[in-house]
Amino acid sequence: MKAFKIILSLLLVASAVALIVFVGGALGNPDDVIARLDADNLAATDSKLQKARDRALESAQAGDREKTLRNIDRYVEGFGDQLELGGQNRLDLFFYRHGPSLIAVSIVVIVAAAALLVSALDSRGRYRKAAIYALLIVLLYAGIYIVENLAGASSMLMTVLKKGAIYALIAVSLNLLNGFTGLFSLGQAGFMLIGAYTYAIFTIATENRAQVYQYYNGGLVQFSLPPLVALVLAGLAAAFFASLVGLPVLRLKSDYLAIATLGFAEIIRAIFQYDGLGPLTNGSNLLRKFATFDSALFPFAVAGVCIALIAMLIHSTYGRAFKAIRDDEVAAEAMGINLFRHKQMAFVISSFFAGVGGALLAMFQTTVQASAFKSSMTYELLLIVVIGGMGSITGSVLASFLFIASSEWWLRFLDNTQMIGDFQVPLLRSGFRMVVFSAIIMVVVLFYRRGIMGDKEFSLKRLSQRFRRKGESRNA
Amino acid sequence: MPEHILQLKDITMQFGGVVAVDSLSLYVDEGEIVALIGPNGAGKTTAFNCVTGVYKPTNGQVSYRGKLIVSNHPQGKMKTLYAGSDKDKYTQVLEPTPDKITALGIARTFQNIRLFKTQTVFENVLIAMHLHRTSNLFTATLHLNSKEEKQHHQRALELLEAVNLLDQKDELATSLPYGMQRRLEIARALATKPQLLLLDEPAAGMNPQETDTLSAFILDIKQQFKLSVFLIEHHMDLVMDISDRIYVIDFGKLIAHGTPAEVQDNPDVIRAYLGVEE
Repeated sequence: MKAFKIILSLLLVASAVALIVFVGGALGNPDDVIARLDADNLAATDSKLQKARDRALESAQAGDREKTLRNIDRYVEGFGDQLELGGQNRLDLFFYRHGPSLIAVSIVVIVAAAALLVSALDSRGRYRKAAIYALLIVLLYAGIYIVENLAGASSMLMTVLKKGAIYALIAVSLNLLNGFTGLFSLGQAGFMLIGAYTYAIFTIATENRAQVYQYYNGGLVQFSLPPLVALVLAGLAAAFFASLVGLPVLRLKSDYLAIATLGFAEIIRAIFQYDGLGPLTNGSNLLRKFATFDSALFPFAVAGVCIALIAMLIHSTYGRAFKAIRDDEVAAEAMGINLFRHKQMAFVISSFFAGVGGALLAMFQTTVQASAFKSSMTYELLLIVVIGGMGSITGSVLASFLFIASSEWWLRFLDNTQMIGDFQVPLLRSGFRMVVFSAIIMVVVLFYRRGIMGDKEFSLKRLSQRFRRKGESRNA
Repeated sequence: MPEHILQLKDITMQFGGVVAVDSLSLYVDEGEIVALIGPNGAGKTTAFNCVTGVYKPTNGQVSYRGKLIVSNHPQGKMKTLYAGSDKDKYTQVLEPTPDKITALGIARTFQNIRLFKTQTVFENVLIAMHLHRTSNLFTATLHLNSKEEKQHHQRALELLEAVNLLDQKDELATSLPYGMQRRLEIARALATKPQLLLLDEPAAGMNPQETDTLSAFILDIKQQFKLSVFLIEHHMDLVMDISDRIYVIDFGKLIAHGTPAEVQDNPDVIRAYLGVEE
């Protein structure tokens, strides 16, 4: 069995490497493919087709794969029935089109092989869990990459995934505060705003500053930072404000804390639109032309790392202290937990990640305006946390994607008039989506108050246990 | 003479116009079990809370091993309202929060059991170990403190074994039967490595049989963990059984003090508990 596993994993690695080398070759020279498509040189008689081919070759030269593919498609379509695409050409095109996805698949295969190898060599099973998790993570990211390649980066699916990942991070940060530490705070939109602005201000390219800050003589900041540095800075700025706000506010009891943080978020929004701060914040005008991301992998990677950090914090001794404070403040204090310090800690950490999330949201939207960070944004996040389950990280993540998908995509049809035959469906018009959405939320809050996950976490162990139990009951 | 492990001097606690505890002085010596008893509403729990930092006494001082930990004098509105004794004896203000008291080595349990509801038995004990961490936020988050974590887990298991709850360690704390919850609360208090254990009515709601078991249990952990114990109790059986000395208060005032036998025969005590004979 052990030898079999080792041989199998080595074979898998070998085939994956071979696939990568092969696909790499296909990706390397699209010119060749384009030239071979029209072996009989039918295009010579048609200037339109020649132009299409030239365009395809041009973009191939520039290394823009997506554009090349689009041009090739147009070129092939231009022939109509005249062109007989040979099997070889079809195959080459397929590899060129799906090459990156295939490489992603090969990487998954290699990691799977490595996991298999670990399970074969590691007789005591110490690294088995780590191997399985590594495989799952690689599978997730490869899956996102492949879907993005198939569906196109600007498709609705990818929009939902990107925004969902960003909201997942912010919802988890809010859950750390509301669900795990029991502090009912409503200031998340304010901290997101600080993060978004900090990020935007520091990553606008120097040559674009004059244009963006046209009313403020090019603005105050005249340098730009790399996106990752600015992301961390965005988090730190939010954390700094949180520590200042926390000093007076965290001594208040629950309801008052909610009111105070809500007030803070509103004040911050007003301050950032203040004309006097224009050289920094561009007043009430948009901030734009800052560094953004193209691929959904970026928000997924950042959100993934941040959520993992929060999860690790919650599973540490500090996380236990947070949960103790949530369960019983008096008892927690009697166990030697300094209430104020730990609340402050949770508040600052939560705000840090809200700041990072705000920065990601700015990147996603490509523009930032303070007036968009209304308290309704905090309520949306609060809903996500409640729907997912207070005190469940996986619940928040799941609920984020569901929430974003429903509000941006699945319920969109409610905003347009629909015809069934000659019959116009009543009520469907712009804005009706929000009515239905509100009704759904009310039902959830009334009847599924504990949310999707309650305070449980989704885990493989629980899942496998459940399946096993089902299997047993069926056998019995 | 060695220092008292705990000493209360002239503790007065006044709420508005009501003097709940009036000039209470007492001490607990190393290795002793001392009980504070009195009829309902006599001010026992209030006196207790002045030691644990939950209340700030209106007047008086508390010291732990000779070190002053709580000190207060009538301030603010109380300056004019104050109706207790020893009005101008103290000038200093020392008001530590309960977590600081616990950090000194004074652990407590609660009259109406306060366990962490959503946590398991094991986690309840583990939370109390947070006090003695050496890891900071970063090392803890990145799980670089696995050695310490392992020690804490180990010690939590040992404590659970000592209070005979090892078999229930993965159960939800609140799903335990009443007597076990009491023992868990004591185990949790022990996890903070106390030298003085304060028990707030540990036998509340127990039947005589359970109370007997509890007496043996308290004596046992006192031996095992080298504790001094200061307790409030209603159950006379328990108090008479295990206490070295007993203080009796009524209407906030100390009315008797002595060994169980002495207190039992004290006419003032009998009067306070049974009423005056007509």
